[in-house]
Formats: sequence, structure tokens, C-alpha cells
Amino acid sequence: MDYSSEVAQRFRSSQRAGALAGETGSIVCGEAEDRSLNVWVRFCVRAHGGRLQKVQYEVFGCPHTIAAAAAAAEWLEGRDAGALNAWDAHVTARALEVPTEKLGKLLRIEDALRACGRELKKTEFGDGSTNGSIVDAKRSR
Amino acid sequence: MRRILYFDNAATTPVDPRVVEAMVACLGPEHDFANPASAHALGTRARQLVERARAAVGARVNAPPARIAFMSGATEANNLALKGALRARGAERKHLVTTRIEHKSILESARTLERDGVAVTYLECDAQGNVTPEQVDAAITEATVLVSVMHVNNEVGVIENIPEIARVCRARGVLLHVDAAQSAGKIPLDVAGWGIDLCSLTAHKINGPKGIGALYVRSGIALAPLVDGGEPEIGLRGGTLATHQIVGMGRAFELADPDVEGTRLAQLREELWLGLEALGGVTRNGNPKRCAPHILSVSLRGVDGASLLFALPDIALSQGSACNSSVPEPSYVLTALGLSDAVAQSTLRFGLGRFTESADVAYALERVGAEFNRLRALARGAPAWCSS
Repeated sequence: MDYSSEVAQRFRSSQRAGALAGETGSIVCGEAEDRSLNVWVRFCVRAHGGRLQKVQYEVFGCPHTIAAAAAAAEWLEGRDAGALNAWDAHVTARALEVPTEKLGKLLRIEDALRACGRELKKTEFGDGSTNGSIVDAKRSR
Repeated sequence: MRRILYFDNAATTPVDPRVVEAMVACLGPEHDFANPASAHALGTRARQLVERARAAVGARVNAPPARIAFMSGATEANNLALKGALRARGAERKHLVTTRIEHKSILESARTLERDGVAVTYLECDAQGNVTPEQVDAAITEATVLVSVMHVNNEVGVIENIPEIARVCRARGVLLHVDAAQSAGKIPLDVAGWGIDLCSLTAHKINGPKGIGALYVRSGIALAPLVDGGEPEIGLRGGTLATHQIVGMGRAFELADPDVEGTRLAQLREELWLGLEALGGVTRNGNPKRCAPHILSVSLRGVDGASLLFALPDIALSQGSACNSSVPEPSYVLTALGLSDAVAQSTLRFGLGRFTESADVAYALERVGAEFNRLRALARGAPAWCSS
């Protein structure tokens, strides 16, 4: 399997990798998995005033999946919370030169981000503050 | 170019410089380039080199040289053994017994024969990769023509009990074919002593060239040829003999030393295993008590094998078998051993060889350990199925 230099760079990056443990403030997480595709991914975000201050990811999968998760976290950080629903697996697939047959894996990243967005809406924008507790949403296939 | 440590010797090996020297002597206008079938003096010299190589191959596996037919490799030998044996028999005896963990050249030949109406029994292996002589005995019927069992599995390195399986086959009056591509020259193989009827051999797994192999055919066994042509090898395969390739194979078999090299490689393999085991979360595949010295298959649980391979551009390794490496499906051999898809896809095969040294093992352990830890830290919160 050949990988683009974009994939190689993001695959090796440790920035934004790992859980958001110990962070204070409103943290919400969303995850998705697909056993048949050998993919699991979780994003945790800390938002304030409708802005994504910090985005971290955890991921199990192939180099394309890991690189796309890193790219998503980088793209989201500093953006408006609505970006969680706007991130597009197809756009990232093109940017990273991900083969079409692997698009399904990147769609799980999209699922995890959408789940994150729903949780964030319930807390910061909906039902009030989480007081620092982590709220998880999960989508499995 | 950065040096890449080669740990894929189960896929293929670098050609030994001494083999290269012998091959070069058969190329070029001043060398032994002639057609071995030609009657003139140059042809005679080439023929003598071919016969010397045949003797060397036979000596290494204790097989009569006159019954060794050179061909393009073990894949062709496996095809000829199965299709040739079944097609040469009458319609009343059409049953083949093999295992689920054979090389694809066996399994796909078996599928072809099934389409031709041959019944095939695929034996299951146990969780360590072994099939038993009792399983073989139970599978043989009145219609069985051939049993085909590999000597050493190419993915996990498990050694099958060929002497006992041969005894069963002889007692039941059926032919035994052994795919010895991964064993010849690496561990003791006694074709005549064990009573093997057909045996596939190759050069490139033991520091010989690619594109050359052989099939041993016990005297008196009829096979339907796959390649017709003038003056075929022991009546089986037409085509001009590739003198330089055959000479290379002969030299590789001369140089192979299962006792000395096998012992050295087994020590390196254990060094490697102990280091990997110490990382935690690493399990060994195949029967450790019946394992070829040059193969170590390990599952590094909680990471995707493709990611680990990509993280190690300085080490040449295989994820599953070489033939499967670009295919996302988990290895059929590993799943036959009972591994889950996720664990099968977290599996790497280390193939050690003549030029592997202890310092290489130490470097591999350091690099694999570092990248394994980095990647599993990325997936620390992952659900259990990712590692079990």
C-alpha cells in the first residue's frame, strides 16, 4: 500500500493525540466504531463560548484512519462548534489521497464528530454545563 | 539510501554472493550459456552443470537426483503435483485431502480440481497450526488419490509431522505430496527416508534465485504434465532448461546447512521473541515447540498491523503472508488458528535469514517496541475487540 506524504506526516504527528484527561471545563466526547473495518475512533473536545478550544483524538486503525483523525482534530481546533457537523470525510479523503475503498473508515470519523457535536449541543448549548464531567456518545456499526 | 533491515526472509531471501558467482559463470559468450539439450561440447558442459545441480538438490533432501524435475518454482511444482496426480488417475478415484492452511498455490489448485469434479477434504488445524496423522487417516477414503500437507507453514512457521503422515499414507495406499518450500535447507527433510511421493522445492527461500524450483517425483508415479514440449524434464515438463537458474539453485542447496544455520537462527528467533514478549500485549502464533527456526509470527494486540508496518519504514516485515499483504482481509491461516479478525490484522511475521545478526534483532526490538507503544497509546481507550 502506498501512502501520500500528507498521510505520512499526520500519521507520525503526536499533536492532539490521546485523551483529554484531567482537563477542566466542558468536555464532551463522541466515538464510532466498525469492527468489520477494523476501526475505532473517539474525539473529545473542550468548548467555550461556542468555540472548540481543544480537540483530541484516540484512534485504532490503519495509517489512513490515523492520519485522517489527526487532520480532523487539527482542522477543528479553534473553529466554531458547528464545525463538528461540517467536517467532511470526502474532502479529507481527497486531501490525503485516501483510496476510495477506504472511505468507509473515514466516515466513522465523521460519525464520531457528529456524536460529539450532539453531546456538545446538549451540554453547553442545550441542557447547561457538564461541570467538567465527560459525556460520551457512541455510534457503532 | 537509508539501510532497511530485512526481516522478510520467509517471503524471499537475498541471493548469496557465492550463488551469484556460480550463476554468472553460466551467462555471457565466454561462459556456460549453451542449451543443455544440445549435443555439442558446449551443450554437454551445460548439461553437466545441470546434473551437478540436480545432485546437490537431491543430496540436501535425500532424494534420488534422477527423480528431481526443475521448473519455475514451488508454485508450479505444487500445481503439477496436485493437478498432475489427480488428472493421471481414472475417474473412479477422485479425492484429494489437504489442509486449510496450505499455500494459495495448493488451495487454488484444489479449487480448480473441485471445479473438475474432484472431491476435496480440507483438514482443520488446531490452535497451534498442527494437523495430526490421525486426522489424515480419518479423511482418507477409497477414492483418495493424494494427500497434500505442507512441511512448514509460511505464515506461522509451524512444522507438520510429515514422517508420521507419510506412514499413514503409505499404509493406506495413497500418495503424499509435501510442499517443502519453507523447509528445504532450513530444517532436516528426508524425502526417501520418510516415504514422500511428491515434494515441491524452491531456491529463493534459501538464498538462491527466484524463478527456479523443482518437484521430486518418486519413481513409478504417473503425473499428467502441465507444460508440453520437447525433451521434457523426467517426462514431465517441456521447455529449455534455464542453466544459470538451475546452477544457482544447486549452489544454494549446497550452501544450505540446516544443522548449523538452523541452530543459529533458532537462537535469534528466541532472542526476538523474548524481547517482544517483554513488551506486554504480544502473543506468539503457532506451536513454539514445532516451529521452523526462521519464522516468528506475533500478534501485537491493540494496534493495526498495517499501521505498525507503516511506522517502521526502516524494517522490512510482512503482515500475514507476503501474497496477502496488500489485501485488507485478515490472513486465512491466522483465522484458521482461531484468531479474531482484529488480532489477525495485528500480526506481523518476522523472517530471519543467513544475513540476520544479533544486532539486527536488538535494533528491531527497540524500534518495534517504540512504535508499538506509541500506537497503542493512541488507542488506549479502545474497546476490547481491538485487542482480543
